[in-house]
Amino acid sequence: MMYNSQNDQALSLNRKAIAHRRIQTTIQYVLAIMVTLVMLFPLYWMFITSFKSQQEVLLSVPTFWPREWHFGNYRNVFKRVNFSKYYFNTTVMTVGILFSQVVTGVLAGYGFSKGFFKGKNVLFVIVLGALMIPLQVTFIPLYIMFANWKLTDTFLGLILPEAVSPYYIFMMRQAFLSVDDSYVEAAKIDGMGRLGIISKILVPMTKSTLITITLVTFTNGWNSYFWPKIIAKNEARRVLTVGLVHLRNTFAGLDTMNNHEIMAGAVMAVLPVIILFFLFQKYMLTGYEKTAMK
Amino acid sequence: MKLQLSRRSSKQVGDFATVLPALLFLALFVYYPVVQVVRISFTNWNLINDNYQNVGFKNWIWLFKGSGTKYLLNSLKVTTLYTLGELFVTIVGGLMLAMIFNRMAGSFSLMRALVFLPKYIAMSSAAVVFLWILNTDNGILNFFLTKIGGSKVNWLGDKNRALFSILLLTGWRTIGYGMMIYLAAMRGISTTYYEAASIDGASKWTQFSKITLPLLSPTTLFLFVTTFISAMKVFQSVDVMTSGGPYRSTEVIVFMIYKYAMVDFRMDRASTVAVFFFIVLLAITAATMKISNRSVNYDV
Amino acid sequence: MKKSVMLILSLLVVCSMLFAGGAGEKAKAPTADAPKISYEVTEPITIEWWHALEQQYWPLVDEIVGGFNQSQKLITVDAKYIGNYATVNETLVAAHAAGTGLPALTVANTPYVAEYGKGGLCEDLNPYIKATGYDIDDFGEGLIVATTYEDKQVTLPFLISTQVMYYNKTMADKEGIVIPAKLNDMESFLAKATKKGPDGKTTRWATIIPGWDQWYFETFYLNNGVKIVNDDRMTTDLGGKASSDITKQFQNWVNKGYTYWASGTSASSVMRQNFIDQKAFSVIHTSSLYNTYKSLVKDFEVGMAWLPGGETKISEIGGSVLLIPAKNSQAVKNAAWVFLQYLVGKDVNMKWADGTGYIPTRNSVLSSQEGAEFLKRKPAFKAVFDNLDEINPRIQHAGWNQLSTIWRAYLDQIMIENSNVDTQLKAMSQEINEVLADSE
Repeated sequence: MMYNSQNDQALSLNRKAIAHRRIQTTIQYVLAIMVTLVMLFPLYWMFITSFKSQQEVLLSVPTFWPREWHFGNYRNVFKRVNFSKYYFNTTVMTVGILFSQVVTGVLAGYGFSKGFFKGKNVLFVIVLGALMIPLQVTFIPLYIMFANWKLTDTFLGLILPEAVSPYYIFMMRQAFLSVDDSYVEAAKIDGMGRLGIISKILVPMTKSTLITITLVTFTNGWNSYFWPKIIAKNEARRVLTVGLVHLRNTFAGLDTMNNHEIMAGAVMAVLPVIILFFLFQKYMLTGYEKTAMK
Repeated sequence: MKLQLSRRSSKQVGDFATVLPALLFLALFVYYPVVQVVRISFTNWNLINDNYQNVGFKNWIWLFKGSGTKYLLNSLKVTTLYTLGELFVTIVGGLMLAMIFNRMAGSFSLMRALVFLPKYIAMSSAAVVFLWILNTDNGILNFFLTKIGGSKVNWLGDKNRALFSILLLTGWRTIGYGMMIYLAAMRGISTTYYEAASIDGASKWTQFSKITLPLLSPTTLFLFVTTFISAMKVFQSVDVMTSGGPYRSTEVIVFMIYKYAMVDFRMDRASTVAVFFFIVLLAITAATMKISNRSVNYDV
Repeated sequence: MKKSVMLILSLLVVCSMLFAGGAGEKAKAPTADAPKISYEVTEPITIEWWHALEQQYWPLVDEIVGGFNQSQKLITVDAKYIGNYATVNETLVAAHAAGTGLPALTVANTPYVAEYGKGGLCEDLNPYIKATGYDIDDFGEGLIVATTYEDKQVTLPFLISTQVMYYNKTMADKEGIVIPAKLNDMESFLAKATKKGPDGKTTRWATIIPGWDQWYFETFYLNNGVKIVNDDRMTTDLGGKASSDITKQFQNWVNKGYTYWASGTSASSVMRQNFIDQKAFSVIHTSSLYNTYKSLVKDFEVGMAWLPGGETKISEIGGSVLLIPAKNSQAVKNAAWVFLQYLVGKDVNMKWADGTGYIPTRNSVLSSQEGAEFLKRKPAFKAVFDNLDEINPRIQHAGWNQLSTIWRAYLDQIMIENSNVDTQLKAMSQEINEVLADSE
């Protein structure tokens, strides 16, 4: 009897523990789902608003699903401003930055890891030192310099200040350092040149780092705002991030609230990055962790 | 001997050539402008005029002992408040989310990705979305507020609230980042610590405060340093959402520099503030480096 | 060894080039014009014209530019909306500094004339006027003064407006409210036109004062004897007693709930909306928006009144001038000059005046039958036509843009934060004196 009751007690304790854990799990799920919904809400709201009619946007009780889908909002954005040109400009600028950062970054990463030359360490410190000089400090002389070189409103003007990234060099150097020297030596004995070693040995062995940093570079380029706003004031080389704000300004001068169209513009501006994010989730998620763990 | 030497030096030149393009770029587009910005701060350069003179310390006196002082102080105050806000969200918020999302299930990995996604959304796109959400008359946030019995709030037009509203946007974009960094670090903590602790009968809270937190301190420091430096340079969200207003209540220091340079075209004054800002950044970097060498638990 | 020497040498060369670049940054002074210049357009050319006309005017812009393009064999004009006047200014100065990406012709807000003239941004139009025998005497004297800098005709008047008060005429007739002619009578007018709810909160503003552009409150100061820029061109009288008096009066009206100070990003839209919704009896705005107000307001009649005066009752020229950036090539300038003449021409000017709220610029229009007919079409403009002689050129100073920014910020502070007028104005005038001295 006694034994039985003890057994029951133990059982119920165990049950309690299980129930306790179950509650804990449930709470964790509920919290996680709530946080995710809150975080997703702005994107959802942007998307939904972009399909509403103007009357629906101005309703005092907002609707959470468009009553009618107005795809015309997207067409209107192209009509209001030269949105396709902004797209083109952003693409060319981003590709340019990407190309030049990858080339200079991989080369310098090699030189600073596997290379031998006098003053290597001092020069590397100089590269790292550049990390501490933000564009926000140097944009005035840069702007004047570029103006004198007639580079305002040009692709070259948009790309050059971002053409080399000390961060990229640093990360590639770290990645190449992790490759054992014996691979490089073996390749040298086989008569392989520098570029061969880089492209055939080092790069394939550090592929995931390379992809990750390159993706970070891409999104940084795609999302850049400060320098494009300064150097490309004219519409000819205006980029998406800046153009989107102009879209808003053009509308604000009028009495109408055009948030449905502004949101359509925003959707189009962020879509490539979102697609990229889901395609390369593995790399994008670890991108910042990598830098953190160094 | 001679042959060997020349081969060695040719190899040196070849290796040096790989770093040369990067060095030249950095010299021309990073280091040289620093020299220039200092130089301009001693002139009276207005962009509209084609010529300018050296005026000695005039701009510096304007900044420290003239009418510029109060704007500088205001910008420093606003920038500091903003930085503290961003630090709080990234570190405290990030840690909290990391606790919530620290679960292996597949659904959690998807949710984590979604929470992290805003980090990749361009600030200017996010800012126009938040402008719409925070709109006084038709914004969804005010709608929710009135639903729960509150009254409509002027999020961006009130000088006591505008900076907070900008921080809402900042928080949305960075909290997932803090979370990911913390989660990565938490994975690195060996489970044996917790097993030993639970055998000793330590409560969950004790485990958290005595094991997790101390072992996360390098991560926290990393987040602190990087967020600090990047928050000091905030510009985009302010430019899009408030343009520094109302009444300079969101005029962070980079916006102040930008305004003098690209709106008033006072390259002289803008450069002076920029040089000062640079010195502040260097001082902060040096200070944080010193701290990080001292007080972190590196036993992970 | 040899190679490393070469390397160091080449590095030195690169470095010296960098610093040579630095020395070269001091741009050369604009080269003096060669003695003989042809002002004729000889080859086909496409030129760009920058304007600040909002979307509601675009059909009219298309019509007018299209008319020009059809009439021309060689010149094609591409009209481009840049943004508001501030954006045009930022874009134009940046392009001027770069010497590239400049428009052939651009509008500019009236107070920028001195700043641009001093900086050498605009082409002096006098040689063009002489060479082509263009008659500028038909512009009013004030307009000519407003568009010159040190005897150089650096700009020509384009779309001209002035400050006015729009009021709800239906309401005024019903309630017997009269817009005062004198500032002294303002108080009783405001008290009468304001409506308050039982909680003491204003439900209808007597008037709304735009704080987003100092142009709107500038004349209140001028008409009460304030020298915004003193004769020495280095100081301001805005910290003085006269300025303090009028500022305190404004602050008092704001505190009493008669009026509110419209500032911030969407201040203009909010102000307009209040007037349309009959939550404001009147608003102070620019005459150029007459057509806009008229088309937006459905429930009542819009009246237009001259702003209450003090010792004087002057107003100031607002709107925009046209200028040709000096760093353009001669061929572009010549084509721009042809288009400029067309844009400021009498016929086109009347099209603007009819299609917008801008005032006709020509003496031959204003003082003739044509003017009378214009008034018949737009009777509200009587308030402006009665006071044509009172419309004055803007204060011209290279530091004006900076001055106005500072002034606006301080008045915002005083009106909205209710700060102490005298201490604020003192700090303000010190700051303004600095920028005036820097710019002169």
